[in-house]
Amino acid sequence: MKRIPIVQGEYKVVAEPDVMITTLLGSCIAVCLQDRIARVGGMNHFLLAEPSGDRVLSADDMQCYGVHAMELLINEMMKKGAMRSRMTAQLYGGANVVSGLGTIGHNNAAFARRFLEVEGIAVGHSDVGGRRARKVEFLPWEGKARSTFVQDSVPAVSVRVPVPAPVGGELELF
Amino acid sequence: MPAASAIKVMVVDDQASMRAMIRRALQDLGFKDVRDKAGPVEALSAVRSDRVHLIISDYNMPDMDGLQFLEQVRQDPVIGKTVFIMLTGSADKEIVQKAAALGVNNYVVKPFAPAALKEKIERVFGELT
Repeated sequence: MKRIPIVQGEYKVVAEPDVMITTLLGSCIAVCLQDRIARVGGMNHFLLAEPSGDRVLSADDMQCYGVHAMELLINEMMKKGAMRSRMTAQLYGGANVVSGLGTIGHNNAAFARRFLEVEGIAVGHSDVGGRRARKVEFLPWEGKARSTFVQDSVPAVSVRVPVPAPVGGELELF
Repeated sequence: MPAASAIKVMVVDDQASMRAMIRRALQDLGFKDVRDKAGPVEALSAVRSDRVHLIISDYNMPDMDGLQFLEQVRQDPVIGKTVFIMLTGSADKEIVQKAAALGVNNYVVKPFAPAALKEKIERVFGELT
């Protein structure tokens, strides 16, 4: 069995057997999607916004991160043959593990549920909330996922948060 | 300075969440007439029968991509001059260059904040009131 770990800001889509996608989650959310007919499955791992940093993000800005993270996963699924109408989801994470960050985990989970509802993607198994970090293992070929609690603190993973493109970046043609 | 409320907009994206987000952002900027479609085929039909001033379209869509959509708009004798702003992924430099060659008016790289969308629209239309 080949294991593919992903961290915050990443996603992976697989259309072959004997592969497991894994991740460690604190406040973040992982959405596992599968098209049972096309045998295509994928998982992402995202946070609506980086909780530190100088820039204050509005609710709309945060929404952008989440929608974009989901779009990347869905588009890659469709490139590999999946159909949006056949996709089902499993949802993990969203724990409020860090004191002082309020309900950021809850907000992440609420966003993911709302997104999937708007897109018409049914949610099967989900394990969200609480205060403990989770390890998620997803078999994209089979469409099976499981989560287990791993520790009481946030997992130490490298962080790669997508940032909005600066206005007038290097590709400015206009 | 054009009034945002006078500009008719068509938003085209296969993701309902993205359409809703852009619609909200535009309404916050003062746009009153914002329509949306899930794909270029439906959008072309709609804007041919009821013209708009601005099309905001995703690039990555299943049935027809944003470049093909742009090309069809530009070749149309009636709606050919409609302002077209494309939404692209961050790694799509080549797509932006192709879009520029096809006559795109501007582009926005995802993920984008509503303020970035406003700035890109204003570069085409001038400061909005």
